[in-house]
Amino acid sequence: MRNNNTVKQFKPSLRGAAATLQSLPTRLLRLRLAMTVVMSLLMLAFAPMGVFAGHLESFKSVPVPEQNPQTPEKIELGKKLFFDRRLSGDGTMSCATCHNPEQAFTDGLEISLNYPTTRNWRNSPTLINVAYQQFLFHDGRARSLEEQALFPMMSAFEMNRNLDFVEEVIRSVPEYVEEFKKVFGDGDTARERIAMAIAAFERTLVSISPPLDRYLKGDKKALSPDAKKGYDIFIGKGRCAECHDGVSLSDSKFHALNAPENVEQEKDPRIAATRRFVAKVYHYEDFRNLKEDPGRYLITKDRKDWKAFRTPTLWEISRTGPYMHNGIFRTLDEVIEFFDQGGGKGNTALKPLKLSLKEKKQLKTFLAEALTGEEITIKYPKVP
Amino acid sequence: MEVSSTLKKIMISYDGKVRLVIKNVPYGYRQYSVASALAALAAGDQGKYWEMHDLLFARWPQLDPESLVRYARELGLDLERFKQSMDSKLHKDAIERDLKLGDELHVYMTPTFFINGRKFVGEMRYREFEKIIEEEVKNAK
Repeated sequence: MRNNNTVKQFKPSLRGAAATLQSLPTRLLRLRLAMTVVMSLLMLAFAPMGVFAGHLESFKSVPVPEQNPQTPEKIELGKKLFFDRRLSGDGTMSCATCHNPEQAFTDGLEISLNYPTTRNWRNSPTLINVAYQQFLFHDGRARSLEEQALFPMMSAFEMNRNLDFVEEVIRSVPEYVEEFKKVFGDGDTARERIAMAIAAFERTLVSISPPLDRYLKGDKKALSPDAKKGYDIFIGKGRCAECHDGVSLSDSKFHALNAPENVEQEKDPRIAATRRFVAKVYHYEDFRNLKEDPGRYLITKDRKDWKAFRTPTLWEISRTGPYMHNGIFRTLDEVIEFFDQGGGKGNTALKPLKLSLKEKKQLKTFLAEALTGEEITIKYPKVP
Repeated sequence: MEVSSTLKKIMISYDGKVRLVIKNVPYGYRQYSVASALAALAAGDQGKYWEMHDLLFARWPQLDPESLVRYARELGLDLERFKQSMDSKLHKDAIERDLKLGDELHVYMTPTFFINGRKFVGEMRYREFEKIIEEEVKNAK
């Protein structure tokens, strides 16, 4: 038992959630799911009034959990850990491998990078503006950045690092121990603290003055004429803002749009192994015969969530392709075409939009111009 | 394996426009990674680099010394020459130079590609390479 009050009080579900991929006993998993449901209901009960679908909001201060206040020292520690390859089992990967600052904090690949000899199965989402997201991962299995940070570390097909071990590895670096003392009051390098520091760094990654933000703050000249027409389509005929709303340009919900499967990926036996593994860990009974990504269903086991994925943010979208959970679309043109045609086969979430060629072009101009901020330049830390 | 077929396709599509240079960064956590790199280079001395390369990926994880000799035989290589190359670690220095270069360029994952100095990590599809190469060809004009 850990005798650290800060760690214990931080978030009851953190350790349970982090251990999920390490095959928790079913009863414990049920408990965690029950806790998640209770927490979700509470959040619904206290949802801020006045936020409705289609309402776009300009950037405001990022939400910071009370238990993990931002401090410059913690952010700096988090940055070092973010770039530290010690967090992966074989020292080849850091968080920055799949969230590369030079590629808008993605890896630019259809399917995210992987631990050697394995393959990932989903696209790497950008971390820019991730602080505003209410759900993390395409299937929303994490509710906070603190919870999220540990999943890739221990995932067999990502960083593949045992969390008990990583605590000791970090503890073996004197510079880190000193920094943990400064940030947390003592030198305990608990996994929760590693995650808290990384989360603190990630909360600093916010778009720099994108035209839409300036426009929403009152600068009516922030959008070019074509981008303004695209904006009108975005909030009107294109119906984009019905789901891409709020400050994060996401409704924080899960929708089954039935994006095409990536046939090339389906053929890869390594990706099939990853799919079966994740399904097995999430107690999907027929995991051996699973041929597609069930999306949110794996987490909720609710039929309506079959192949549903989180509405992603659209900020910085011109830099964060390929698109969709499986990276099936390389360009914004392909994405717009997909939505214009009413989404994928059999979906009930979307209807054809019947946009003209000109409207599609204007919408693309809006997405590419208005949602793109100045490039975030990171001063790379000296990892001890 | 998949990447090697993609690379071969690129070399055909962009014949005369693209030059391919391969550097070996054997994975430190695998018992036979260096031996496999040595085997591919030894086969290359006899004009069968890609044949050995593809066989090594196809037969992974059987990459022990006996298996490597068996693959050399399968490819019809001069076995004595192959064994001599392997026993003397003929290409050891070249591999160490590659590893040092990899370190300097912060290459921690394979495959990593440098296309006119731009770094790309991980397996990429043909269409992904195509986009980058087209950009570079355009920039070169």
